[in-house]
Amino acid sequence: MRPHMFTWLLLTAATLGTFAFAQAPAQAPAQAAGKAAAPAPSTRTGRTTGPRPPSAPTPRWPDGHPMLAAAPGKTGYWNAGTGGLTGKNGMNLPTNLDIGEVPFQPWAKALYEARRADQQKNDPHARCVPPGGPRQFHTPYGLLIYELPEAKRVLVLSGGGPRTWRVIFLDGRPHPTSDDFIPTFLGHSVGKWEGDTLAVDSVGFNEQFWFARAGYPHTESLHLIEHISRPDYNTLKYEATIDDPKAYTKTWTGGHYIYWVPDEDFEEYFCQDNNRDPSHLVGQ
Amino acid sequence: MRLGAAAAAVLLSPWLIAQEGHPLKGTWHGSWGVNVQERTPVTLVMDWDGTSVTGILNPGIRSSPIEKTAFDPSNWQFHFEANYKDRAGATARVSIDAKIQDVTNPRRSLVGTWTQGDKKGDFKAVRDN
Repeated sequence: MRPHMFTWLLLTAATLGTFAFAQAPAQAPAQAAGKAAAPAPSTRTGRTTGPRPPSAPTPRWPDGHPMLAAAPGKTGYWNAGTGGLTGKNGMNLPTNLDIGEVPFQPWAKALYEARRADQQKNDPHARCVPPGGPRQFHTPYGLLIYELPEAKRVLVLSGGGPRTWRVIFLDGRPHPTSDDFIPTFLGHSVGKWEGDTLAVDSVGFNEQFWFARAGYPHTESLHLIEHISRPDYNTLKYEATIDDPKAYTKTWTGGHYIYWVPDEDFEEYFCQDNNRDPSHLVGQ
Repeated sequence: MRLGAAAAAVLLSPWLIAQEGHPLKGTWHGSWGVNVQERTPVTLVMDWDGTSVTGILNPGIRSSPIEKTAFDPSNWQFHFEANYKDRAGATARVSIDAKIQDVTNPRRSLVGTWTQGDKKGDFKAVRDN
């Protein structure tokens, strides 16, 4: 799929439209159970095109823990194009902080405001940098989460951006402690199931990306704790705790819901292919 | 195909290794001097330890730590001092007051003034990719 400026404009408008039309997310899973509730974000553009399909129960593995991919014999993916870590509107969690409550260090707050002021024209994501951390969970063009029990790993695949995949190790290994460990875009993630929630602990991020679309700064000291659950078939709940003492004065938590797109597969999309948008990001 | 891949790498390279953390962190190259002809090249390598900016001036055999750093994110103003060592082995105290320009750009600049004893001039450095 070749992105054009018009497509990016549509996506931006769709994102704003989704926030405007989505119902309160705290009620979203309960409302969805057994009945068509809020309009469903449609496919890879994030636009709402009709009622969300009635939700089935969470699919489960034989041992009972939730399956985060399609149920056997079915297809689909998570529409990860919307949502954020602050604010309570749209698909965001009702427990999110408002932006004024985020415990920025002064330099981080000033940098965040500067990024907002120039309309995020220097967002590395537009230059096809991998979406590390929570950014992967609100990158357009889809998200798939596959658990490989035999390998004790979870793969998080991004349909957008540079088509990245992230590995979450479930084999009990610790984080690397060697001084030779090189920070990366996606960090080093270890996880475990805590009841019906996948708890993921990640360190080792470099500073070459924005960990959320809003442009909150981070440093290599970022310690990210994520909680991922699937309250019903059509709903993923994503929550991230940001622990970065060099950028924030204390830890803070935020997240959003992500809705399932049934009966569809990723289309081929590579950010690097015909990427003409950076020259259009002129800011103010 | 190879030429296209190489061109893409060149075009993307500023962001492939851009630094999006603390805006002063990284390696900066520039110069100071009393006019456009009399320039002294300088290299700064700086980091953020969570409470203050640290770093060195001119890494190598003539390096010296930057001292008395002060950073005001409300106006992106930065101050530091250092004992500059020239090629003849002499040491002089320098003081820099500069402002970050285009702070969200990976190739942002530090622009301001340089003072060394009774000499005063301008200072400019650009952050490396």
